[in-house]
Amino acid sequence: MRHSGAPSAKETLSPQDEARALRRLRYRLVRTVMRQAFSQGRLRLLLVLSLSLSLWLGLFALFFEGFGFLKNGIPHPVTHDQTVCAVFGTFFAALMVMLLFSSGVILYGSLFRSPDVALLLTMPVRAERVFLQKFQEAVFLSSWGFLLLGSPMLIAYGVVAGAPWFYYAILLPLLVAFIYIPSALGAAVCLGIMYRLPNRRGNVLVGAGLVLAAATLWIAWLVFGGMESDMLTPSWFQEMLGRLRYSEQRLLPSWWLSSGLLEASRGVWSEGVLFLTLMIANALFCRQATLFIASRVYRPAYSKLSNRPSGRKIDGPAWIDRAMLFAMPFVPRQMRLLMVKDLRLFRRDPAQWSQFLIFFGLLCLYFLNIRGLKYHDQHTAWVNMVSFLNVSVVGLLLSTFTTRFIFPMISLEGRRFWILGLLPLRRRTIIWEKFCFALGGSLIPCSALILLSDLMLRVAPVVLASHQMTCLILCIGLSGIAAGLGARLPSLREESPSRIAAGFGGTLNLMVSTLYIVAVVMLTAVPCHFYLAFQQSRPALPPAELANLQWWLHFWLVGGTLGSIALCILATAIPLMVGIRAFRRLEF
Amino acid sequence: MIEFDHITRTYGNKLAVDELTLTIQPGELFALLGPNGAGKTTTIKMLVGLLRPTSGSVRVCGHDVVARTRDATAVIGYVPDQPFLYDKLTGREFLEFAAEMRGLDRSTVRQRIERETETFGLSEFLDSLTETYSHGMKQRVVFASALLHDPAVLVIDEPMVGLDPRSVRIVKDLLRRRTGAGTAVFMSTHTLAVAEEIADRIGIVDHGRLKFLGSVAQLREELASQQASLERLFLDLTDESNGPAAETTSQPDPQR
Repeated sequence: MRHSGAPSAKETLSPQDEARALRRLRYRLVRTVMRQAFSQGRLRLLLVLSLSLSLWLGLFALFFEGFGFLKNGIPHPVTHDQTVCAVFGTFFAALMVMLLFSSGVILYGSLFRSPDVALLLTMPVRAERVFLQKFQEAVFLSSWGFLLLGSPMLIAYGVVAGAPWFYYAILLPLLVAFIYIPSALGAAVCLGIMYRLPNRRGNVLVGAGLVLAAATLWIAWLVFGGMESDMLTPSWFQEMLGRLRYSEQRLLPSWWLSSGLLEASRGVWSEGVLFLTLMIANALFCRQATLFIASRVYRPAYSKLSNRPSGRKIDGPAWIDRAMLFAMPFVPRQMRLLMVKDLRLFRRDPAQWSQFLIFFGLLCLYFLNIRGLKYHDQHTAWVNMVSFLNVSVVGLLLSTFTTRFIFPMISLEGRRFWILGLLPLRRRTIIWEKFCFALGGSLIPCSALILLSDLMLRVAPVVLASHQMTCLILCIGLSGIAAGLGARLPSLREESPSRIAAGFGGTLNLMVSTLYIVAVVMLTAVPCHFYLAFQQSRPALPPAELANLQWWLHFWLVGGTLGSIALCILATAIPLMVGIRAFRRLEF
Repeated sequence: MIEFDHITRTYGNKLAVDELTLTIQPGELFALLGPNGAGKTTTIKMLVGLLRPTSGSVRVCGHDVVARTRDATAVIGYVPDQPFLYDKLTGREFLEFAAEMRGLDRSTVRQRIERETETFGLSEFLDSLTETYSHGMKQRVVFASALLHDPAVLVIDEPMVGLDPRSVRIVKDLLRRRTGAGTAVFMSTHTLAVAEEIADRIGIVDHGRLKFLGSVAQLREELASQQASLERLFLDLTDESNGPAAETTSQPDPQR
């Protein structure tokens, strides 16, 4: 038995050996996950791949048509180039901000909250190596969506523009270099906050969210506010192009990327290489600068993050808990107590409510500024269409939240089921409680958002009432689907709600929810749209045919409404029944 | 071998460790006892480089843990109270990773894994994914990983939690064997009997302050003079109503 300095043990590893060991670890982890995916989750893998491929092809087709339209609709080369530059510039500038935030948030979790970091930091490994390992993972996690969304757009542009091979060759290096820059900046900001303000990181996050919201509002105002030209006219188009110039600042990496791509697509390879070199040089500089910062501050920041009070004392139940206990006398007391418990867990987890707040806040900002788009000055059909689209958007957003927050609740309850399992409580009460909690939590904000959208668009009262009914139908059905499928397909071994949501059950929940939204909107919005259009401008038809058409439209409207109610009952009852039955048989 | 020099650690306004000064010699098995929240885990985390002292210094084999963290951690084997293993690795892959990170060459890695597999009886499950392990199985693999590089200092936070009686016996024997070969062992425990049975010296900590420090022989003398059990002494020393006045049995650090 030998101790330090034993001949077989080196003092510490070289950077290359450290990198090799961590690379092998990652390879082994990925290999096992892939093997398990192929052997145990073939259906899920097939579903994910086919959905991703369908999405990619759909986006490619959309962008192909869009760029084709631009090419034919704007034959003047200078205006065409300005338009594409504005589209690329805006898209990449927005993605740059999103990458900066997402990499920072992901790195906070993986550098300071991940259990394997505590293991790695007790090994004789360089702090910057641990950081680099986590940084690379964060870059991948925060950018795969960007690659999925960005690549069909850029390839479609290349095809439409007749770009040479060189354009496709530099596409991936350009994108990777671009992704590295905001990700490294986000990482540096994350490290800086954890080093300097470890106990105020929550305030910093809220502050950053407010700054982002204010910046979004400001940009929205710059782009859409006080337009002097009528919508979709040539002068409006020129005015819009002028307003989008903010994204073409020469110091922004998004401008380097769009310029590099445009030059390469024109076959000016020297300019393409110039921008590629510029991007790679900046990406490498940002990477090295962030690594340097990590080598200095990561270990102290990790230590400081533990330097916080053991927890503030909470003086009894909050007013909202008391209100929930007393305001719903018709709900059984056990269920109310469970709902108070879930509300407390939601309220005390900033990761949950901050996402809720940011996305619903952004939608709220959009609805508040909707008059800037002058929809209300347009034809009634436009207003109705936009208002129904807004209802759909709220529904889609709600479906992501029920998938992310409601679906994993039973799985998480399962891990702590011994607590509830020993109480005199029926298992079905737990499922019904999740359903009621989801319904209450979704109906209030969604209904308010849709009301705001309708008021800003000045829709007719009958449309407003129809939207509120659609909202109710959506909230009930989506809550039923998430609570029922969550109980039917739980992941009892998984502790992370985001991973539970990203699993097979979560993916299925999202798909079923999306189909449900599409079906409800088609059943309620489409007949309502045609009925209102008919009422506004009656077509020049013989009176008998007119009456016949009116009867059919009326029938479609009533039938659609009744159909959506029937669908809502089915979409709620079936998943809940299946979920309750499965949950009753489940062994923990 | 291990030197705590006036280390203090605060969490906001809360004092977790207060002016701890302590030296553990090679071949010594030191047990730190104390109630929940006394500062045991904080002390251990400062020793293994996860936390930094607010003031004072910790040295391991002459290496300052803050200034020369890698040199210090290279000679430490650490078994945390909540063992972490990568779910998607087998036990063997995890041990290979731990050994590789410690700079062991391939043939040594193989030999050491064989040795620890035999010691802790890992052969039945070593090639299964760790996600299928029970708490005790995980704890045994973590023990094995901490010993692969024959560390000069072994740091163990609650060593017996989750282990079956046979594994408890194995660990006790192993710790005695290691200390016999010159390893310094620093462990925290709630199990008074374990500390009494295998420790050379015992420290009792409460509210971050060392209330008792002495050899097991000194402790036995103390118990005999007071006609009390270790449990009684522990409860008296860590009784909040006694306050700092309870430090009557605190001893200077005896050099073995």
